[in-house]
Amino acid sequence: MIPRLTYVINILKNLERNIIQSFGYPPKELALAYAHQKQVPRQSTKFTLKDLVGDGILLAVPKFRRTVEKRWKRKFGSPDYVWKMLVPKTNIAICNECGHHHERGRLCGNCYKRIETETKEIQAKIEEKLGNNKPIENDVIVLYDGEKLPDETKEFWQGKRIVEMKKERPQWFSKNLLQKTTQQPSDSKDVKPTDLA
Amino acid sequence: MNRICPNFCKVELFFSLLKSNLHTTGPQQAWAKSDLPKTFLTFNKKIYPPQEIGEEPRPAFVCHQKTNIKYSPEKLWYVASLVRGMTVDEAVKQLSFVNKKGAVFVKEAILEAQKLAVTEHNVEFKSNLWIAESFSGKGMVIKGIRRHARGRIGEVRYQYSHYFVRLEEGKPPEDYYKRNPLTPQQQLDKWLESMRKRKITNSY
Repeated sequence: MIPRLTYVINILKNLERNIIQSFGYPPKELALAYAHQKQVPRQSTKFTLKDLVGDGILLAVPKFRRTVEKRWKRKFGSPDYVWKMLVPKTNIAICNECGHHHERGRLCGNCYKRIETETKEIQAKIEEKLGNNKPIENDVIVLYDGEKLPDETKEFWQGKRIVEMKKERPQWFSKNLLQKTTQQPSDSKDVKPTDLA
Repeated sequence: MNRICPNFCKVELFFSLLKSNLHTTGPQQAWAKSDLPKTFLTFNKKIYPPQEIGEEPRPAFVCHQKTNIKYSPEKLWYVASLVRGMTVDEAVKQLSFVNKKGAVFVKEAILEAQKLAVTEHNVEFKSNLWIAESFSGKGMVIKGIRRHARGRIGEVRYQYSHYFVRLEEGKPPEDYYKRNPLTPQQQLDKWLESMRKRKITNSY
């Protein structure tokens, strides 16, 4: 009810204002009191050169035709600096193990992938059995199908955990690969390496 | 046949004319029409007349294309130009070690074309192919907006490309780009000449 009333009152107010505006206000001399409004000087809308040129970015246009030498330089580069054309590589060799190509001086991608998948499987098995929330304090021995534990002293088995993989040992995975590099130098006079695959 | 039943032939002619005037496909809107390149693949369908006895055997070829690759055609051109004039095996080997996104598409296209050549285009050995033509073309371009400083707007072009390759049977030419590299002997002579041309400035 109140909103409707205020609506009507607003209409009347606007009407009064419009009527007085149309007929003109009475002269200020007759008023008892009025608010003096300061005359703000209107800004002259002069058209300067700055408006035309602005920041100079909008009106970029090529001044001269690009010479064919410049176009070639952009497309091909320069043999003295950077040659943009692709050049066939001469350092691609064939892996002796798997027969795939690889760059000389780098690992064979196929072999690396094969080892990576196997490693991930072992890691997954270790996580499954031992959990990954504990700090790594003990070594893990990985046993494949049909393998027996090596004959060692009890001290050897102190801090070691055993993980059994339910598959056959891959051909390329010899036990020699897992020998630690931080092994102590031995005093044994044996010539052949022991306990290989 | 014409003399025996001329009326029958006339009726046949009439019906063939009628068929050629009928539109058998439905109405196609302009925006629904496919704008993929078609002319390159028509070379595959061309049937050549039988060759003369003394003529050199025309080598088998296959044209293949890969359309709407999300890559810039200018950048794809570099990869396409690497591969021209190489055997298919060499091209695939080189492309495996090119560090560009376009190399993946080009390699796929070449392997697909090789397969097509063996199955459909009567090529005997899949390794006996070389890349006769390899080029890129502009595909569709989707335009987007980005903002710059000072209330300025910039245009972003999401470019697509097409890749075309033609494999030909046989051995590739020795020097596809006709670079004519100097032989080792020529290089040595040139170097010797440049060394002998040296002199102390302002001397005789």
